Amino acid sequence: MKKKIILLVFALLLIGAYFGYNYLYQDHRDIQAEVADYSVKASDFITEFTSDSETAQTKYLNKTIVIEGEITTQTNNSITLNNSIFCSLLETNPVSESQNIKVKGRCIGYDDLLEEIKLDQCSIIPN
Amino acid sequence: MNRLIPIILLFFTVSIGAQGKYLTKTGTVTFEASVPSFEEVKATNNNTTAIINTKNGEFAALVLVKGFRFKNALMEEHFNENYAESDQYPKATFKGDISGFSLDKVSNSNTKMTYNGSLTFHGKTKALNGETLNVSKGSDNNLIISGELKLNVADFDIEIPKIVSNKLSREVSVIYEFQLNKK
Repeated sequence: MKKKIILLVFALLLIGAYFGYNYLYQDHRDIQAEVADYSVKASDFITEFTSDSETAQTKYLNKTIVIEGEITTQTNNSITLNNSIFCSLLETNPVSESQNIKVKGRCIGYDDLLEEIKLDQCSIIPN
Repeated sequence: MNRLIPIILLFFTVSIGAQGKYLTKTGTVTFEASVPSFEEVKATNNNTTAIINTKNGEFAALVLVKGFRFKNALMEEHFNENYAESDQYPKATFKGDISGFSLDKVSNSNTKMTYNGSLTFHGKTKALNGETLNVSKGSDNNLIISGELKLNVADFDIEIPKIVSNKLSREVSVIYEFQLNKK
């Protein structure tokens, strides 16, 4: 009987430790795997920010968004859509030329110095 | 002809406005508030915007707080929710002047320069006076501005709960590096 109780307590401790560890060292969000909260056209997205950046920022901040737009500038780790949406890529830029694409990423806010919307952890969605 | 003058003037002013500005959208800002022998409290933001006007040394930087990435996801969540309150205060900004800045003073090696300005984070503004930073010329004709700052958590109205108070440093070290390209 005593043995059983000890075994049970031990098992509970082990389970507790397992969940505790997983809570403390949980994984980061996987933006690529998440279902997007919003799916928008780049031009509409920019309009929302230029008309009221505060409201738009509150609405989109930290949300996973899919944006469809035209590449206007790109480097090997970033893409700018429609001149005003700066997307920082998770992996090296696979796109070689300007075209219309869909980008999925997390909105981190509105940069009023450059009047740009910034997204991080972005990936390109193949058509 | 009369119609042309304003257009020519417009081009003229635009080119003046654009001259002498260097900027980056992917500057790095790292802060650390670790205490020895406890888990590292450190985060990096790789999407910092920084602009310098090389004509007069005016300097501005903007950090989107949500862009700070921690190694530990839970720590990142707590930082955003309880300390930085980034839903309410999504931006941290710096505005200031580098005293006596001139492109002629900048060489390939680090030149120490003094700056004055103000830093806003968590809705509180702190004046920074007589701080120093390093400026140098990069390989592809860009400007590299880097440095370190020591900030006190209390200056930004951030409360540290008792339960974690011995795991978090009151003094936070902020390290930044901006590679600014000519605009």
